[in-house]
Amino acid sequence: MRTALVLLFLLAVASVPGSVLPQQGLDPQSVQQYYVAHPSLAPLLARLSLFNVFAAPWFAAIYLLLFLSLAGCVVPRTFRLARSARALPPPAPRNLARLPHSARYETRLAPGDALNAAAALLAARKFRLRTGDGWLSAEKGYRREAGNLLFHLALLAILGAVALGGLFGYKADRLLVEGDSFANTVTSLDEFHPGRAVSAADLQPFSIALNRFTASYVTSGTLRGQPSAFDAYIRYSAQPGSPARGYDLRVNHPLNVDGVKVYLIGHGYAPVFKITDGAGRVVFDQAVPFIAVEQSGLTSEGVVKVPDARPKQLGFAGVFLPTTVNAGGQLESIFPAADNPMVSLVAYAGNLGMDSGPPQSVYQLNTAGLRKLPITPRPLAPGQSLKLPNGAGTLTFTGYRQWISLAITYDPGQVPALLAGVAALAGLLLSFFVRRRRMFVRAYPGADGGTVVDVAGLVRSDAGGGFDDEFGDLAGALRSAHEGHEVTAPGRPAAGTDDPSHTDTERE
Amino acid sequence: MPVNLGLAQLSNNFLICTVVLYSLALLAYAGDFAFGRHPSAAVIPAAEEPELVAAGVSAAGVPAAADRAGPGLATGPAPTGSVAAGSVAAGTVATGTVAAGPAVAGPGSAEGAPPPGVPGPGERSRLSWVPAGRWVRVALALNALGLAVHLTGVLTRGLAVHRVPWGDMYEFVTAVTCVAVIFFLALMIRYRAYYLGLFVMAPVLLALGLAETVIYTPAGPLVPALHSYWLAIHVTAMTLASGTFVVGAVLAVVYLFAGRYARRVAAGRQSASVGVFRLLPAPEVIDRFAYRTVMFAFPIWTFGIMAGAIWADEAWGRYWGWDPTETWAFITWVVYACFLHARATAGWRGRRAAYIQLVGFGCLLFNLMGVSVFITGLHSYAGLS
Repeated sequence: MRTALVLLFLLAVASVPGSVLPQQGLDPQSVQQYYVAHPSLAPLLARLSLFNVFAAPWFAAIYLLLFLSLAGCVVPRTFRLARSARALPPPAPRNLARLPHSARYETRLAPGDALNAAAALLAARKFRLRTGDGWLSAEKGYRREAGNLLFHLALLAILGAVALGGLFGYKADRLLVEGDSFANTVTSLDEFHPGRAVSAADLQPFSIALNRFTASYVTSGTLRGQPSAFDAYIRYSAQPGSPARGYDLRVNHPLNVDGVKVYLIGHGYAPVFKITDGAGRVVFDQAVPFIAVEQSGLTSEGVVKVPDARPKQLGFAGVFLPTTVNAGGQLESIFPAADNPMVSLVAYAGNLGMDSGPPQSVYQLNTAGLRKLPITPRPLAPGQSLKLPNGAGTLTFTGYRQWISLAITYDPGQVPALLAGVAALAGLLLSFFVRRRRMFVRAYPGADGGTVVDVAGLVRSDAGGGFDDEFGDLAGALRSAHEGHEVTAPGRPAAGTDDPSHTDTERE
Repeated sequence: MPVNLGLAQLSNNFLICTVVLYSLALLAYAGDFAFGRHPSAAVIPAAEEPELVAAGVSAAGVPAAADRAGPGLATGPAPTGSVAAGSVAAGTVATGTVAAGPAVAGPGSAEGAPPPGVPGPGERSRLSWVPAGRWVRVALALNALGLAVHLTGVLTRGLAVHRVPWGDMYEFVTAVTCVAVIFFLALMIRYRAYYLGLFVMAPVLLALGLAETVIYTPAGPLVPALHSYWLAIHVTAMTLASGTFVVGAVLAVVYLFAGRYARRVAAGRQSASVGVFRLLPAPEVIDRFAYRTVMFAFPIWTFGIMAGAIWADEAWGRYWGWDPTETWAFITWVVYACFLHARATAGWRGRRAAYIQLVGFGCLLFNLMGVSVFITGLHSYAGLS
């Protein structure tokens, strides 16, 4: 138990860096920023897996050791419980007054009758009984140990369920612009994290199209700009060729297709650009997803890459402002809805560097081979155009669409984990609120012709207290069962106690 | 549905009234310590703790081997003098408490025959819970009135925003403090633990004051991520558990101070007749209260984490993702689990267990305040910017 305690504490301490440092799995961008901000420290932290704490070998070592020590403790206890489920309680000790809870009184019933009455009472209260010559021993509360074991076994089961999800589940992300659609295949997903036993062929073959996305915001008061509802109206078909169905995808209202769940986890604007190159050809006409850099006005940034433009490739870095106001010469967005959308762009011409070198992010422009074009910065409203100098071409901001990001997850460990969680909670409650306790009764002839009854109680684990009351109850009930047969002889000091406090218990 | 601004304003006024009433109650509790007439220091703890000590089963006129009043009390670090009244061996008072049981039918028994003798002064009566001291009675009245206003304030906030009123940090703090006061008043009435008033109401008042000044957020609708009935399940469980853990932490602190006081008295370095702690019961009794409080809150916390996992699966596509708030809820759970194990292991009872419990509460507080404000994660709903 001490080992388990130390490991449990270690697990808590080990989780702390995972919440303080940025984590690769949760927020890879912040990890990159951390590398930039702390260039010498970051590689060191990375070597210690501190950017991926919950998948780190040392973290796994702690919880595997913990579960190993748990299993080493719980399994033998389960066998012991199974054996004791059939065993009888131990015989009553000789001197009951030595037990932590005890009482003595006299009755006119014969010893045998008194024991029978006590046995009937305790049996009615669901005690397991064992009788002997002049004594009775009773035990109750086996469910405590059972609950305790259930709790710990359920924890092991939760670990198993997590492993199941890690082996056979997968997670994927996909950004989807209004009017577009995609099929659930590896190539059309933006990110795909399969479990160890998952292959591309295991993906459920559904497809999803986004018809329309609406976002509502609080329009007045101090919470102005806070989102109040997101609705993505999608159409999906579970299989190629099967009929498409409409669905209102919302936060907290995922789509379930064949056990795969699709979640709405993000949204943004995708301004639409039409670009004509120097040769007069339309080389670009599509929506470009921009990423929000702040939430109160949803100011979004993005880049446009036009590799087909001639004579030189074109690139644009832009800012999209949903509700544009001019604040002292500085343009900014004051509301997340697109009430007065504008785009401000910086144009480049040259070589985008997309044909060689490492793969590029679609959200970043590699300006190494590019030359900034001398244009006066002027925000564009929908329909307005930007004429590039020296006949390099024209860009038209034709309007905007919205995009959503979807998370697609499949986790076969979910239901087992839930069941194990419920079992853990049930076990916890049983082990907390049931106590295992024994009652002993001895009845023997007294000096004056009556019968002396000794009652004692023993509780196995009662750290929270409360058996005092129950023992008082039981002893009282036993005495009532022997009622009407009391001996009204003067009292004697209690035998077998050396605790000074017991002298105070005599009242007459 | 739009926010009902009139009700929201009403709720604010109620909560400000609550702060005033609680402040007065706090003053009255403090006044009891300062000016209250305590006939004998020994009487108070004994009379307040009849149930825990008075489990003796002695028949009037019949010899009895009385209960030792729990091993903790008999084998503890030997509190002497007035503090020992919380344990068994306290002369005249103890006759009332230890042997209070009317015959074999000990205290708490419903079917016990009326005792042949006179019931001791410490015998628990469910009707006579009103405290004797005038200061305590005033404090209790103010406290109960404050709670009623507090409840009304939380309720009107909920009516104003048409949802459970614990959707942002301000609402959460007002609700958690409300739970703490309810739990404390229940504890107080059930076990006559009036001495706790000062210690519970001080942090509650501090938290409420901070809620009204620093973290106040006007009533408003919630972000879409919180539009779910799981808000009512997950956050309610977390609110109940947190409010109860507040009382547990207060008990741990009181336990540590009372234990220190008892040791000083035992070592002869402190007079048993001065100081706030002379009025408290034996440290073991407080320790047991603390343990029971955590036992009550821990399953609720566990349930809250599980409900949160189900909700996370519904909202974010995974039931567990090590989001900072999830991580700290887990750390809190682990530390409280450590406390429960430690408390069940004989060698770790007492002070060390109390420190573990306080570490657990520190984690809870850090999750509520630190993580919500300083670390961005999926749970950043505090409404602070």
